Amino acid sequence: MRKIALVARREYAEHVRTKGFWIGVLAFPLILALSVVVPVLLSGTKQARTYAVIDHSGFVLQEVEKSILAEDLGIVLRDAAERYRDGGQAWERLPDAVRAAAKGYVSLDEAERPALIQDLAAGGDEVAVGLVEWWQQVSAEELEGLDLELSRSRYARVEVGDDPPAALNRMVNDGSLFAYFVISPDPVASDEGCKYISLNLTDQDLRRWFADEVFQVVRARRIEQAGLDAETSDWLQTPVHFAERKVDKRGDEAEVSTVDRVQQWAVVPFVYLLWMAIFINAQTLMTNTVEEKSSRLIEVLLSALSPFELMAGKIAGTAAVGLTLVFTWVACVVVGVVVAPVALGGDVASIVGIASTPLYLWSFVFYFLAGFLLYACLLVGAGSLCNSLKDAQSLMLPLLVPLIVPLLTMIPITQDPNGTLARVMSYIPLFTPFVMMNRAAGSLPLWEYLATTVLLLLSIYFAVRGAGKVFRIGILMTGKPPRLGEVMRWLTAKEDISPAEREADQVS
Amino acid sequence: MAFATAVQLEDVWKRFGAVEAVRGVSLRVPAGCIYGLLGPNGAGKTTLIRMIMSIFFADSGRIGLLDGQKTLAVKDQLGYLPEEKGLYKKMQVAEVMIYFARLKGVAADVAQQRAAELLQRYGLGDYQERRCEVLSKGMEQKVQLLSALIHEPELVILDEPFSGLDPVNRDLMRDVILQMRRDGKTVIFSTHLMEQAEQLCDFVALINKGQKVVDGALGQVLASGGHAAVLDYDGDGHLLRDLPGVTRVNDSGKRAELFLAEDADSQALLAALVPKVQIRGFALRTASLHEIFIRAIGEADDA
Repeated sequence: MRKIALVARREYAEHVRTKGFWIGVLAFPLILALSVVVPVLLSGTKQARTYAVIDHSGFVLQEVEKSILAEDLGIVLRDAAERYRDGGQAWERLPDAVRAAAKGYVSLDEAERPALIQDLAAGGDEVAVGLVEWWQQVSAEELEGLDLELSRSRYARVEVGDDPPAALNRMVNDGSLFAYFVISPDPVASDEGCKYISLNLTDQDLRRWFADEVFQVVRARRIEQAGLDAETSDWLQTPVHFAERKVDKRGDEAEVSTVDRVQQWAVVPFVYLLWMAIFINAQTLMTNTVEEKSSRLIEVLLSALSPFELMAGKIAGTAAVGLTLVFTWVACVVVGVVVAPVALGGDVASIVGIASTPLYLWSFVFYFLAGFLLYACLLVGAGSLCNSLKDAQSLMLPLLVPLIVPLLTMIPITQDPNGTLARVMSYIPLFTPFVMMNRAAGSLPLWEYLATTVLLLLSIYFAVRGAGKVFRIGILMTGKPPRLGEVMRWLTAKEDISPAEREADQVS
Repeated sequence: MAFATAVQLEDVWKRFGAVEAVRGVSLRVPAGCIYGLLGPNGAGKTTLIRMIMSIFFADSGRIGLLDGQKTLAVKDQLGYLPEEKGLYKKMQVAEVMIYFARLKGVAADVAQQRAAELLQRYGLGDYQERRCEVLSKGMEQKVQLLSALIHEPELVILDEPFSGLDPVNRDLMRDVILQMRRDGKTVIFSTHLMEQAEQLCDFVALINKGQKVVDGALGQVLASGGHAAVLDYDGDGHLLRDLPGVTRVNDSGKRAELFLAEDADSQALLAALVPKVQIRGFALRTASLHEIFIRAIGEADDA
């Protein structure tokens, strides 16, 4: 035991001194910080797409403008109502004009609200005028700052000057205009002559959005021409909406919040980090073993300790390195929980809060350790067979192929954490750590945790034994790495190929 | 602690697949001596040493160390310098030595002190905190040797210790070996250079094809080879054939070893030589270890 600890300590000290380790430690908080800071910084530079409209019909653009206003106001008020209910900073940040209108909005019940929005969009009383004025003036940056996503944040219409098509063509050409639309004289009859002119043919968002807006206006006219009354047309156009509900722990139906939606996806970064931590550390262990072997240190070491002690020490030392990494990451998340609400407020805080759910954090630590041990045994065994890093690289590939699978299934399992795919993969030890981490949002029954953990621990036990056998023989071998068949023979040999254990038993 | 027997092998066998590397070797290494394990490359010396160091385990036979103890039980009292050796490139010199000492059960503070002392004494004091990768080949060899001795072992086994050493380290190695004996420790070293063994060893064992050919005190082994005359000469070596009383000639061009029959007359031989070649030196002595070994292998092959 003492010698294992010595080997582990050396291994740890050597790793911690490398640059790679510190890059690994710092990379995560850096990425975490950047992922919060960069969007905020970028939002300052975010620009809405500019477009122009040549309207030959004489009415479509006007109507479209009205409906865009109504839609945006609807979004603003729904959002404001939610913030009003939750209270706090998010509500306080909204401008007075919005808050004034929102108070009126929340006082109404669901059915009366669309009418209010129409009223507000039409102008009229002081509150409505204030709100519309605010909407007309607010910039994309301000909206970003308020966490409001309106059509105004994405698209800005510019007025058409003299000599329309030629001037607009020039503007599109020199990049000052993203696109322009031409609406035919009678779009209600047919869309012939309606055009979208742009140089950017990949980004179709603007075209789809505007076409949809125009279609709504045209559809309203068509309904009118068909002689349907407003009520009938509304009824015809009402889509079927399914209210999203969940079942809570007591088995009662409950409302679905943003937190619930995020909770399900919060495991994804964990799975990914788990994967990285295991991949990086197991790989380093293998490279290290090969290095020790190729630098002829093994024989000196083996004159002082047994191959098993050496292997166990190496695995323990690398595991400690990995745990250091994992714990700094976890600490970052926890610190993030404390810092984020202060710095950012609102949704971000609750997301980080979910990420720091104890179940997630402890699953992360446990599955790192278990997964690492399993892969470490595979790679240290393989490493002991190689004499050069080149040998090791060609051996590493087939060993690490199984590691790709949990990455591929990450999204499907997140979407269906209790589906057949997820369940079956949980019982394949090589995948268990990743898949179980992946399923953590699915409120799994305890027995499933127990069953998969027992299976995982059992396979770790056999992996350690197998790796021990291979390591003891492989580590002193020189020349070409043995064939798979030969290695299998070492693994399955009932009697040890060298009677080291028997001798060891006699001594202890 | 004073031991009587450093190593005792009884009918030790070791197979690697179809290859029989060691075939029933028995020998005894008395404590406090310098013991040479001689033989050509591939004779099984390294395998034998690895078994003594419990890196391999014998298929059959008994190995007793330091008065019959099990190999694993005395691991910490053994020092080992394999033929193929290395250092952790990224570690500091003193750290590596301390690490090896600690693995052999030396307490941390003692290890630290000894590492500093040894490095100082052997002129590497300035390198204590340098990484091993900056050491020259010669310095590396020194550090490796010191690392093998830092835990003050009772028995040191050196596998081909002189191969690849520069003259300075060669002398250092020799001094260390002699110092060990003065301190009452036992040194076993393997070599395929007979001259080295002849100069240093108290006892030798000759190994060939996994079997012991001859062993015993150096003097006895040498005496078994009969008499020889060493001749330093200039001239045509062909003329050395068919000399009276000479059974075999080992001619190196400027020096020749002439092996004499039991009843040979050295005076007559000298007289016969005078007209044939220019004699620069002529000395009577026992046959060299080299010759004994060649003969022993020849006999074994004939048998």
